Amino acid sequence: MSGVALPRIVLGHNAFFGVDHLSSQRGAERAAYFSEVENVMTVIASAVDSGAGGLMLSTHPRAAAICEALSIDARLASKLEMFPLLPYAQKYVTRANELGMVRVVTQTLAEASTRDKVGLGLDFLRTMYRRDPLDMVRALMRLELRMFRKLNVSTVFLHDALSDLLMALNLPKVFSLYQSTLRRRFGTTAGIATKNLPLLVQRFQEWGMELPVVLTHVNKVGFQVNPSQEECEKALAHPKLAVMAMGTLASGYLTPNEAYSYVNAFPSVQSIVVGTSTTHHIASTFLAIRQSVDWR
Amino acid sequence: MTELRGAVVGFGKLGLLHAGLANGLSNSRLAAVVESSAVIQRVVRQYFPDVDVFATVEELIDARASDYVIVATPTGSHVSIAEKLVEASIPVLIEKPLSLNAQEAQPLVAALNRNWVPNMVGYMGRYIDTFQRAAQLLHRNVLGQVQMIRSSMYIEQLLKSGEGWRYDPATSGGGVLITQNSHVIDKLLWMFGDITGVSGNTSQLVSRLVEDHVHAHLEFASGAVGFIDASWSARHFRTPTISIHAQGTNGTLDVNDDEVRLFLDNSIGETSSGWTTWRKPDLYRPVPLDIGGTQYTFQMIDFLEAVSNHSDLDSNVVSGLKTQCVIDAVYESARRDGARVGVANLLS
Repeated sequence: MSGVALPRIVLGHNAFFGVDHLSSQRGAERAAYFSEVENVMTVIASAVDSGAGGLMLSTHPRAAAICEALSIDARLASKLEMFPLLPYAQKYVTRANELGMVRVVTQTLAEASTRDKVGLGLDFLRTMYRRDPLDMVRALMRLELRMFRKLNVSTVFLHDALSDLLMALNLPKVFSLYQSTLRRRFGTTAGIATKNLPLLVQRFQEWGMELPVVLTHVNKVGFQVNPSQEECEKALAHPKLAVMAMGTLASGYLTPNEAYSYVNAFPSVQSIVVGTSTTHHIASTFLAIRQSVDWR
Repeated sequence: MTELRGAVVGFGKLGLLHAGLANGLSNSRLAAVVESSAVIQRVVRQYFPDVDVFATVEELIDARASDYVIVATPTGSHVSIAEKLVEASIPVLIEKPLSLNAQEAQPLVAALNRNWVPNMVGYMGRYIDTFQRAAQLLHRNVLGQVQMIRSSMYIEQLLKSGEGWRYDPATSGGGVLITQNSHVIDKLLWMFGDITGVSGNTSQLVSRLVEDHVHAHLEFASGAVGFIDASWSARHFRTPTISIHAQGTNGTLDVNDDEVRLFLDNSIGETSSGWTTWRKPDLYRPVPLDIGGTQYTFQMIDFLEAVSNHSDLDSNVVSGLKTQCVIDAVYESARRDGARVGVANLLS
């Protein structure tokens, strides 16, 4: 376990970017509303006032504007720990439809080199790619995390689509690189998101690696909980595990009180990320967390 | 159970996803990759020392390195690759769509007639929980005689002309109709039965060579009529969004990725009259591994079971060919300014 102290309540980003696991239509409507950064900032300010100590932010194309707005708001910035979630997979998936996997990486970095002058010329990139593709991963991480450079970041989460793929392919080397790059170059801790907590615990033990901070679904109906509710509950009892729980409300399917009474059964849950989109919802949800969860 | 050795042909985005499932599920491991790109070959050799890497499918077959193969190459190469695998008695999962057109798939159908092996076409959308429930309800005839079917597929993928093989009809077979919308046609055939006639129009909104929008009227063998409307240039759709509405003599059914809504005049068995809604959390079934959606996992589990048992699958080359025949008919109708075109039956 990393020993990182996590804020109890972290505001999630899904509503800001139109991600809604219960209704795509509702997601699209929220994306339209939150295309105005001011509307995002209003929700963030309300969350901070109601007790949120962190903000999870995917590296969505619109996240840079939110980071920029936060960086010039000293009051909010000082009260919020940022939790980047990378990469924003849909961005690469859509682009890969056109360019293929290799070119999507080289083009993304090449465009960044001219736009952001991070010194990554295309030829240099090609040379790096021939030597070791993990150099490309480092360069992509640097690019994705650039928007957070003026903010307080202590843990960076790897998206579950990628981490579950790496676990399935049994690639500890990539996780090690991810952890060491974050520690050495950014001074931050590596967090791993997963949709299969028991597999993560098993793999990291097999690999002889310290358990990372984990972002995973914890909810009483087992929505997006794999491989089974029972096995996840067993894994959540692991004494060395630090979990940031997501999906606690099962995308709005559960009421806050029933959701958080369930979460309270697991001392390994040290933090809860909640995606809310209205100030009213923030107040009632955060209150339910405070009333239901005895942080131990 | 014996551990199956899987191979993936085409180590792109979907190839990688399939490789993860092939290696991550308990009764299978990734044993081989076939990839023409030297860069990707090198990366695979470097990071997967236990995985054999081949440049061609012939080399894979000669090496007898796999018990099943997943073909995730551009559409135009599916048939020739799958045909060789079938001839070599190797079960095959072919990414959708099956082929550039129905005629092109004929040698594969003939190969399977000579030497049948378990075969699947990757219409994974059938395994989405909401569509599974909708199909179960429809197959129980809860709606009575289905009369009218509306369907759509939208995604914001292309707002300016695209590059790459997906936007070149020589390698992709066409635009949105044959790519993402083939999922809708597959679902309609699976849920409502054969389509006998179509009249359709296609439009190029941003592309030069392929259609970005399609609208087609459909006639079903059952007597139902309906339409599809689809575009990959539809703003505000973050991910591919499929919706199907059906009206029958006993009610209506609406299904999309998020929910199933059923209205019945009269109860059918345990299904009550009035409105019933199933949302995703109601229908969620856990999986051993989720990479890119549980539907891919369920599809792979079914495929591996068919490989082990040498059994057939619902989404196979035959059903994939039927989808292809409907797609061909819509393209033919669009070429003839929307004239009615009968859907060929290339299976008879």
